[in-house]
Amino acid sequence: MNDVDQSLNDTVLEIEDFSVDYGWGEGAVRAVNNVTLSVRRSRVLGIAGESGSGKSTLVYAVTRLLRSPGVIAGGRARLTFDDPGSHDTKRRTVDLTSATSGELRSIRWSQVSIVLQSALNALNPVLRIGHEFDEVLKVHRPSMSKTERRERAAELLGLVGLNEDRLARFPHELSGGQRQRIMIALALALDPQLVIMDEPTTALDVVTQREIVNELAQLRVRFGFSMIFITHDLSLLVELADDIAVMYAGNVVEWAPAGDLYHAPRHPYTLGLLNSSPPLTGERRELVGIAGAPPDLSQPISGCSFRARCPYAFDRCATEVPVLGVVDDSGRKVACWLHETPATVPMPLRIVAPGRDETVPALDQEVVS
Amino acid sequence: MSSVRLPRSPKVLVGAGLVAFFAVLTVVGPYLAPYNPSNTNFNANLTPSSAHWLGTTALGQDIFSQLLVGARATMIVAIVAGVVATILSVTVGVSAGYLGGKSDEGLSLLSNVFLAIPGLPLLIVIDSYLPAGGRSNSFVIGLVISLTGWAWGARVLRAQTMSLRNRDFVEAARIIGESRFRIMVFEIAPNLLPVLASSLLFTILYSIGAYVTLAYVGLTSTAVWNWGTMLYWAQANNAPLAGQWYWFVPPGVCIALIGTGLALMNFGIDEFINPRLRSAGLSSKVRRESGLPRRPRLGFTPVLRPRDASSARAGVR
Amino acid sequence: MRMLARRLSLYVVTAWVAITVNFLLPRMMPGNPVQQLIGKLTGSITPQQVHAIELAFGIGLNQGLWAQYTGYLHQLFVGNLGVSITLSSPVSTVLKSAVPWTVGLIGVSTILSFLLGTLSGALLGWFRGSRLDSLIPVATFFQAVPYFFLGTVMLLVFGSSLHWFPVLGAYSQSVTPGWHWDFVFSLFRYGELPVITIVLSSVAGWMLGMRNMMITMIAEDFVLMAVAKGLPRRKVIMHAARNAVLPSVANLSLAIGLVVSGALLVELVFNYPGVGNLLLQAVLNEDYPLIQGIFLVITMTVLAANLLADIFYFVLDPRTRTEAAV
Ligand SMILES: Nc1ncnc2c1ncn2[C@@H]1O[C@H](COP(=O)(O)OP(=O)(O)OP(=O)(O)O)[C@@H](O)[C@H]1O
Ligand SMILES: [Mg+2]
Repeated sequence: MNDVDQSLNDTVLEIEDFSVDYGWGEGAVRAVNNVTLSVRRSRVLGIAGESGSGKSTLVYAVTRLLRSPGVIAGGRARLTFDDPGSHDTKRRTVDLTSATSGELRSIRWSQVSIVLQSALNALNPVLRIGHEFDEVLKVHRPSMSKTERRERAAELLGLVGLNEDRLARFPHELSGGQRQRIMIALALALDPQLVIMDEPTTALDVVTQREIVNELAQLRVRFGFSMIFITHDLSLLVELADDIAVMYAGNVVEWAPAGDLYHAPRHPYTLGLLNSSPPLTGERRELVGIAGAPPDLSQPISGCSFRARCPYAFDRCATEVPVLGVVDDSGRKVACWLHETPATVPMPLRIVAPGRDETVPALDQEVVS
Repeated sequence: MSSVRLPRSPKVLVGAGLVAFFAVLTVVGPYLAPYNPSNTNFNANLTPSSAHWLGTTALGQDIFSQLLVGARATMIVAIVAGVVATILSVTVGVSAGYLGGKSDEGLSLLSNVFLAIPGLPLLIVIDSYLPAGGRSNSFVIGLVISLTGWAWGARVLRAQTMSLRNRDFVEAARIIGESRFRIMVFEIAPNLLPVLASSLLFTILYSIGAYVTLAYVGLTSTAVWNWGTMLYWAQANNAPLAGQWYWFVPPGVCIALIGTGLALMNFGIDEFINPRLRSAGLSSKVRRESGLPRRPRLGFTPVLRPRDASSARAGVR
Repeated sequence: MRMLARRLSLYVVTAWVAITVNFLLPRMMPGNPVQQLIGKLTGSITPQQVHAIELAFGIGLNQGLWAQYTGYLHQLFVGNLGVSITLSSPVSTVLKSAVPWTVGLIGVSTILSFLLGTLSGALLGWFRGSRLDSLIPVATFFQAVPYFFLGTVMLLVFGSSLHWFPVLGAYSQSVTPGWHWDFVFSLFRYGELPVITIVLSSVAGWMLGMRNMMITMIAEDFVLMAVAKGLPRRKVIMHAARNAVLPSVANLSLAIGLVVSGALLVELVFNYPGVGNLLLQAVLNEDYPLIQGIFLVITMTVLAANLLADIFYFVLDPRTRTEAAV
């Protein structure tokens, strides 16, 4: 592999200027607006933001799974993966927004799998767990025999710490945590390049939530898949993610390496979000909610959409829409006019990020050692 | 609360049109009839002509007059049966759903028993014991039919009441200390309206079928003109085999049309109750202009073409 | 299991209600029609028959109602349904030859109608908004046509005019009944038109119910997941349909009563030698013992069919099975 290939291989998913509407024509509501993001190979991109900020809409639209009246109103989403057809590990890139339904079908689950918030609804209530595994393997790996498929299913359940006798169970016979573990095992069944997790732990209690996140971190290191992890909980994300994107009202307002963003937020909304989420152990922070509510997306907004709730808003925010731009040398991008000139940056947004080494999530160290 | 959005799909409009047409016919039918339907003064077995639009029967009666006059008896029995059955369903269903516990078990058992007994055979048995005076009385027949037709509505209403019972506004009324009866009548009943309407339409539909069937097998007075007795006489005189389609087809088609009308209206109510059933706004003009498919396809989110995207989104930012 | 036990007890209660109604009706009705009938018949039937009828309907007995009731139950228990007035043979004997025809005709029609309706409903639901939707008003119309009227039209058009199907009766008069090919073939041919009539009249209910459930199911997450798994469309539809069919099966037991009611009249139209035809003859002849016997037999058969439908549901929905274990 030469250098050029190397750089191409670096990303798995590249989302570019991506916009999503609900409805069309006059009644259209823009739920995701000109989002540009990428997911690096074997890395975790975390997406955080309040409820209704468009996180789910973004990932469903990118995978073309968004239901009507959702429409992709612009942009591209390129998926790069090892071409299973070729013998050497050649990479292939497919633009999901122009893929045919046949292409999508072959990419789905074998390259991109997805885990939903509620595993109760994601599993077919009248089918045994074993059937779900068997079906996916049968469709995507026609050469596997019945016993091979069964063995693989048992092996996958083992990965998430479940006994293989669960394969004979129906979803309603399992607990919420077990069901979510099964969804995770199912998502890994075909060794996909990218696993999308849309708030996979929100419906679970805190202890189970922790356990599952730990397991996910280990599995990711072991199998090297990339992941998009969506959550409200920034402190959960900082343990798991390499990069974090913060969304507000359909826009990405800050996108930075996880540690940098966590320790030194640059967008006022990120700061607000951090102040309102429970801190990591060891740190103490006063919990403060963000005053006000997210804007109504069906009304046109002029200028910055966070303006009304931002303590630092000034004249320019009312007229011009801030664009996502690089603000420091770590590659961090922020969409905020405050950072146009160093002089306007308020104190709380000037915190210096600690060295990168210190921000390596504790879990990673645990796994590596 | 925003104003109620009534579904206006073509299905519902056609249904309402049909039902309205027959409702008018019920009222004015007997006055429009050119002759007395029992009058046997004409030649027998005439084919349709300008004097007798649908010809005459084997006894020399004007068939068109029978059809017009018959609308009223058919509809009156159906409405009596429909209303009585609905009152029964509401009483049993709402009480069962609201009271719960032992009362619910008893009332549910009652409606389930009536659901399990096949309706028409029961109807025939009851009817065969009716004295002649009862068989010619529309209200008696209507009552008997309602007895076999209320259970389905009770079941649906019970389920709906149970789901309403635990909603916030009912809870609130209970906390304020309103009486059970008040809560049932003023809080729950209005929210049951769509289900109630659907159950009423369904029961009327059932009653028309039941009445016409009874008449057809000769279990109602053959002197009362309704569409079922017309079919009875047509069958008794071998009209179908004799090729007298104008005798037996019109009453059958009328029954089918009013039934279709009621069922189509029911679609509208279904869509009202379950918003997922509303059509997904297919083929609106904008949709086509934007290059969107007519039918949303699961797992294939449409992508607006750039050219159309700019025009469709002009002005919205 | 608990669900099945509940249903079973419901049917036991229902059977008891039907028997009791049967017992009470002739005794409660004003202007006792049976009494009048006996008056009409005196002379044409033997005194023993008159006595049997009086016994069965509680006329001129100086027995209390309760004693009559227990006596009635006892007679039923030993399989004595009385003696038909017009046919002069025991009602149970008459029914024994008629019931198989009805069970065969209605059983076959109901299964066909359920399969056809469910399948087309699943497709209508999945492809909602396509041209298939035009089937809906058509099916609704057929649903609204009374069974016997549709039967008459079918008989006339496809039977006596076009001669596509043989009609009137259950098999050709020129073959002798028995288990040989000619007879079976004849049975099949003569059954076609009645079956088609019943299916046409009843299919819309299944179709529309399944369509609505299918539309409701498509909004569920697990169907979206089936798509996300890259399953071929056929399999995705199956995921939705497998769940959407459950309410239809749950309603199967309800619908059987309705279909039976309609189908009984189809027998009359096609002169099919089943229970329906018998019932209507009995009504015309005011053969009260036969009417009562038929009502009881129909009710019991429908209840048995209901139980079968419940077992089917029990097999299809795993949640009902583990209910007891939890
Ligand atoms: N079917 C729809 N029609 C119109 N607007 C919708 C529809 N679905 C979602 N929206 C709007 O799109 C916006 C984004 O919703 P989305 O579900 O993507 O948010 P989210 O960030 O995933 O929130 P959560 O954290 O609660 O899951 C919301 O404002 C929501 O109101
Ligand atoms: Mg979401």
